[in-house]
Amino acid sequence: MSVHVASVGMGRFGKRTEGQVDLAAEAAGLALEGVGRRPIDLLVAGSMLSHGPYGPEALLSRLAGRLGLESASGLRVDSASGTGAMAFHAAVIALESGRFERALVVATEKMTDRTTAENTRDLAASLHPSEVAAGATMPALAAIIAQRYLLRFDLSPTVLDVATVHAREMAVRNPCAQFQKPVTPEEVERSRLVALPLRLLHCSAMSDGACAVVIERGTGPATVMGLGQGFEALRIVDRPDLTTFAATRISATRAYENAKVTPKQVDVAEVHDAFSPFLFIHLEDLGFCDAGRAPDAFERGEVRPDGRIPVNPSGGVIGRGHPVAASGLAEIAEIALQLRGEADLHAIARAPKVGLAQAVSGLASHNLVTILGHEAP
Amino acid sequence: MSAPPPVVELSRCEACRSPFLPTDGPCPRCGSSDVRPFSSPALGAVIASTELTTPAEGWPAPHRLALVEMPESVRLLAIVDGPLPVVGTIVSVRRDGAVYRARTEPGP
Repeated sequence: MSVHVASVGMGRFGKRTEGQVDLAAEAAGLALEGVGRRPIDLLVAGSMLSHGPYGPEALLSRLAGRLGLESASGLRVDSASGTGAMAFHAAVIALESGRFERALVVATEKMTDRTTAENTRDLAASLHPSEVAAGATMPALAAIIAQRYLLRFDLSPTVLDVATVHAREMAVRNPCAQFQKPVTPEEVERSRLVALPLRLLHCSAMSDGACAVVIERGTGPATVMGLGQGFEALRIVDRPDLTTFAATRISATRAYENAKVTPKQVDVAEVHDAFSPFLFIHLEDLGFCDAGRAPDAFERGEVRPDGRIPVNPSGGVIGRGHPVAASGLAEIAEIALQLRGEADLHAIARAPKVGLAQAVSGLASHNLVTILGHEAP
Repeated sequence: MSAPPPVVELSRCEACRSPFLPTDGPCPRCGSSDVRPFSSPALGAVIASTELTTPAEGWPAPHRLALVEMPESVRLLAIVDGPLPVVGTIVSVRRDGAVYRARTEPGP
């Protein structure tokens, strides 16, 4: 049974004054308008960070009440920064079961009303407790991965700047992106060190934001062609090679098989660049570049909107902003917009037929790949 | 009489023979619960290190961490006492409650 993305609702990412349920309702409202308010029989929603009594603890009930979905079934999903993609996968599986006709998928996060220390602590909850006990944070472990990557392929740390420059250049084209100004490599190098070799502009920002999509049975320009998930050891000390993410390789293999396509057939990709070096690792794990060659693809312009494999035309996590739970769904939503010809200012040069979205939970311990396209496999 | 050389306790899976850093769970490679401890010399090589200018709450800045490769390729994440060691530095490692600590060995 085929399922396709029938509409997308994106609010602006960045610092927002509204609460996270308001942000979710805004994105959901846009997605529901997109299908002419046709009936929804399944609501799948997710967020990661807790906000106490004003937070997402009753997210499903609050949203159902706000959106007039009292007769829909509800499903709450939580998978750290992969939450949004997981919510999408769960909704697709539910529709494919034949039990439901049309689902609203919503992912939301509110981060800017919390302190950096609170966000750092709660984001580290998706790391292994023994490593958190040593004072490891998400940027600390990302820095260790970055260092392994640079050493293995004999690269200068300044190669990371190229990934940030690309992200910020793409974000300027996307009105929903948090960052609306490009940056130069010099500005990246001047930003403060967070965790050697990572500087502030190599890291994604704390953001508020929500994303929603409506999926329904049938086919369209953004039909679900393949889904894949994979896991890797939570403790980084148990990972034999830190220059690649096994969870991406497993999920990509599964999604490509599922969709009956090869990496060469993918026309556009959105990947989860929570930290600049991850952009390179993802492109290699997804089969778009050989190991250690992704930086060359950036230097040669192959990832630009008119390049061989346009990457993160939305700005990606670094450019679009990173309301953690929402990012995984925003990646899928961007691919749907590109395929549906609705990406407007951030549309890639050639109309794509197949697109891929990759999401990451935690420090790449559970990754998800989604392939959408014009044809069901 | 000189003190015996320091050791750290590592684990070995009796099913797949993989050595690994002790964990409260089963063997991270094959899932077997048949795990035995063994003592390893407490010296390892730094394979990555970082310095956090904004550490997690409760840690003084800067907070330094090193990924250390111990004998038989077992890796551990250690808090660095002293200056940040570059990759390739030989460090001595000790267990300190729930964490490991590493310090650069004086040169020959």
